[in-house]
This record gives sequence, structure tokens and C-alpha cells, in this order.
Amino acid sequence: MTAPVADPLTRPGGSGASRPGRRADGGATSPLQRRRAKMFWPFLLPALVLYTAFMVGPTLASFWISLHSWDGITPMTWRGLTNFHLLLADPVFHTALLNTLVILFGVGAAVFALSFALTMLLRDMAGRRFARAVIFFPSIVSPLVLAIFWGFLFQQRGLLDSLLTGLGMADRPNFLGDHLWLIVCLGMVWMSTGLYVTIIMAGVDQIPPYLYEECELAGATAWQRFRYVTFPLTWDVIATTTVLWTVSSLKIFDFILAFGGTTNDLPPTSTWNTALFIYGNTFGGRVPLYQFGYASAAAVVTLVTIIVLVVLLRRLTRREAVQL
Amino acid sequence: MSIAALRRSSRRSSTWRKVASAAVWLVIAFNLAVFLWVFVNSLRSHAEIFANPWGLPRTLHTENWMNAWVTSGFGAAIGNSVLVCITAAVGIVVISAPAGYILAKTNRRLSEVALMYIAVGVGVPTQVIVIPLFTIVQRLGLLNSLFGLVVVYVALNLPFTIFLLAGFFRSMPDELEEAAALDGAGSLRTFAQIVAPMARSGMTTALILNLVWLWAEVFLALILIQSTSKQTLPLALLNFMAQQQYGGNDYGQLLAGIGIILLPVLAAYIWLGRRIIEGMTVGAGK
Repeated sequence: MTAPVADPLTRPGGSGASRPGRRADGGATSPLQRRRAKMFWPFLLPALVLYTAFMVGPTLASFWISLHSWDGITPMTWRGLTNFHLLLADPVFHTALLNTLVILFGVGAAVFALSFALTMLLRDMAGRRFARAVIFFPSIVSPLVLAIFWGFLFQQRGLLDSLLTGLGMADRPNFLGDHLWLIVCLGMVWMSTGLYVTIIMAGVDQIPPYLYEECELAGATAWQRFRYVTFPLTWDVIATTTVLWTVSSLKIFDFILAFGGTTNDLPPTSTWNTALFIYGNTFGGRVPLYQFGYASAAAVVTLVTIIVLVVLLRRLTRREAVQL
Repeated sequence: MSIAALRRSSRRSSTWRKVASAAVWLVIAFNLAVFLWVFVNSLRSHAEIFANPWGLPRTLHTENWMNAWVTSGFGAAIGNSVLVCITAAVGIVVISAPAGYILAKTNRRLSEVALMYIAVGVGVPTQVIVIPLFTIVQRLGLLNSLFGLVVVYVALNLPFTIFLLAGFFRSMPDELEEAAALDGAGSLRTFAQIVAPMARSGMTTALILNLVWLWAEVFLALILIQSTSKQTLPLALLNFMAQQQYGGNDYGQLLAGIGIILLPVLAAYIWLGRRIIEGMTVGAGK
């Protein structure tokens, strides 16, 4: 879970290009600029070193490891693209990749639709602060806790099951047994919606109220209000949030893991995403497999997928913001 | 539009509004009911919950909470989690603040490139780097050590925090700093005594956000921590679930365990709720 981030890079004042006078390679003009230039490396270096050592290095190493067979202990042996060929033929990986995309697009669409609906409904409601606080709360609770409750809700003789029994329904579906993946997806919608409601709400709050008053006067329907006012004016927020969702949906791990029940048991492979796939092939399970090379290949595929999707999304959502 | 039509439409919209707000309140009621249910049932026995999950406690089984506390090892785990989360969150902010400041306030090509380079890290999911990370931590001899976990937590949360803080620093005026420079205060002192205090609200937001995320972090802890004595709270919860499964399910106790985990989060939320919400939505509305 991360908050939106596109801000500092896109703000025009931040790039040197708009202030040509101050630009020339560190040749700062004011004493303050000169001092800052002197502090550049001392201030930046600790962060840069840690980030490079623990994040950039490992990312690149994943590419290297993916070309080998390795258990983490004995020396690596070169394998070329074999791991990738194996991945292509592995039905478990197909499911994991497909599930990852289902979360990204399916769960994502549901989260966005629901968030927009809730935002519009909350817009002029009494007690909206309280409502927002309650809807947001699951976002800060450990997904493990949410998953345990979600299990209780749907398990046999659980909350929903006994409610249906009480209503006299004899032929009750075995939710967790037969529809586990659907239940997990619904749970992710519930878990994620709160954050996106508050983000979109913050965007909608920037829209001047007189626009809605004019809509009212013109007799616009709720849908027209949404289509011609809210949606275009929150476009920037939507663009940032879709990138945010893309990135954070691929990180979902513990909510699914908890459906395996314990530290040792993994959930059924039908619910795996790529994070679970990598964990399941390395450290997870009662007898960890430690297939570092193979799992790294899955990591590389995941990473490439993210890069392609983020670039595509940014292309698709690039549009001039509506000026008020 | 005739007056009658206008009136009709406003009546329609008021019915619509009623239906809509009923729907919203239903969602809210669901969320409240979830947590209420957990607390109510944490006071019932396993047999009672299993017989009827919708019932109310007949006698208060407060011993569930005692038992959960004893069998789960949550006490030690909370200690570990508090130690790790606070150290890591403070470390993240202390390292990110100067970096974010210098990247926001210098107009060099290099600072743009560096910010870009760091921004990329926000999009890298843990699972992509976890294998090399495990190896590095192992080589450093920091496997199964809380310090090792802190180092990894700090490094991995830098990109987002630097990014967040760069935004804060960019919007700050230069005047005070110029005055301090004229007075001959050193750069480090200026930063610590003038700049950082001005960015206090941004740094507090960063601190709270990191605490919230680290408190619930599972993946890295699961891989880097192996012994029970060093487990963080989410790991203790996973182990507690395992115990419940093998030692015969006791839902009452499991729910009490969840209650123990929820209470501090709930307290923090009531205390800092607005700050957390605004922190997590910051930047998106701009």
C-alpha cells in the first residue's frame, strides 16, 4: 500500500528547464544556491547508497539469477532461458499471472467504480467525515486480520452460511470450497476501496460547488453530473490513482497468504498471484523449494509486466488537465 | 423548464438521494459491524460461536483474552514490532529528509535525474527483489536479526518517502535559509535548525505513514526473521493461527487475539485518524 507519488516530478516549477538562469551545471548564482550545491552529495549519498544496494542492485540481480539454476547455497549454474521456457509451460504460473491481471483489471475496475459511487454519494451527505473515516479504516488494518474475518464470513457454518440457513436455504453454496478465488477478490475490493474513496474525494473536493449548482439548475441527472463535471475535472487524480493501483495491486501478498491459514501452509494455487508464486517456489510451504532461479524468472516477468503497463497507462491517460 | 417539472425533478432527486445515502450507510454499517462482531465474539466460547455466529455472549469469556495473550506470544512480538517500526520509521525520515530537500531545492540536471532514479523504486514490488535481498542479508550476517530487518525496511521505504518529502520542501520559501546563510550558520546547522522544523508537518506525515505500513508488513519479516523470539506482530499472528489450527480451533481465542492486534490500531486511528487519512491521500489531489 502506497500513497500517490507523481507529484514532485510533474510539477513544472521543479524542473530546471523553466528557470534557465539558474541552470548551468551547478554554477549557482546566489550564495544559498552555492551552499546547496556543496551539500548535494553529503545530503543525498546515504539514501542513494542504501537504495542502490538494497533495491536497484537486487532488481538487476534478479535478471541475472533468472538465467541460472540456483538453490541459494551451492554455486549457480548457467541455464540460459530455460527458466522462462519452463514458466511458459507451467500451469501454476499461468494461473498466477492471470490472477495478477484479474486483480489489476477486475478488482481494480470494481474498486474504482465503487470508490466513485461512494464519493459521489458522500459528496453532500451529513456526517461525511465520519463516513469517510469508517470506510477508510480497513486500509490501515493488517490484511491478515481482514483475511481472517473474511474467512469467518464465508466459511461453512460461518456468518453468511448460518444466515442463509436461518432463512431456510437448504442448498447453500460452499463459498470457500468452490468459489475461493471469487471470495478473495471480493475481499480485496473491500480492503482497498477505502483508500481510493478518500483519494478521489480529495480530488472531487477541489471542484467548485457552483458547477454542481448550475447542473442542478439545468436539470442534469446524476449520471450527467458525473460524466460532464466530476469525471473530467478529476482526470488528473484518476491518472495518478490508476498508476498507484497498478503498482500496489501487484504487491498484494498477505491477504491471499492468510487463506492458507498459517506460516507453513500456502493457500491453494488457484488463488496465487505472482507474489505468492515466487514465495511458494522459494521460502514458502512446509518444505521450501528454494528454486531461486526459477522464481527469479517469474520476478522478471512480473517486473516487465509492470513496466509495460505503467508506460501504457501513462500514455493512455496523458491529457491536458481541464483549466478552471 | 416549467416550475412543475423543476419541482418534479427535485423530488426525484431527493428520493434518489435517500436511496443513495441508505446504500452508503449500509457500507458503513458493514464496516462497523465487522469490528463489533470481532469484539463481541472474542468474549464467547468456541462452542457458542460455532453453534450460532450471530449470537450474543451469555457469560463473558474474558479468559479468551488472557489465553490469547499467553499462548500467542503477542507480548514479546509487540515489543519487537514497536522497536523495529519506530527505529525504521525514524531512520527512513532522517535519511530521506536531507535527500528530499537537496533534490527539491537544487535546479541541476543531476537532481532531476537522481529524483527520477529514486522514483522508479516506488514501483518495484517486494517479490521482485526478495531473493537477492535474502542473499545479501545472509552474506551480511544479518539474517534473523531485528537490526537486519530494520536496515531492509529503511532502504526499501526511502524512494516513496524521499518523493513525498521533496514535494513538501519544494513548496517552502527560501528567505529564512538565506538569512541564516548570511548570519554564517553552517549548512548542516541551517538544515537541522531552520529547514527541518519548517517541514515538520511533512515529516510527521511521512513518519506516520511509514509506521502504518511497517506495522502490518509481512513478506519481508516472513523471509528475514526465523526464530519465534524475534518475530514481529504479523508473524506472531500467523503462528497463532497455526497453533489454533493444530491445537484444535478456538475461535473465541483467535478473535481475542485479533482484538489484541486491533485495539492499538484503533486507538491510534481515533487519535491520529485525520492525519493518517490526509497523509495517505496527499499529492493525489494536486
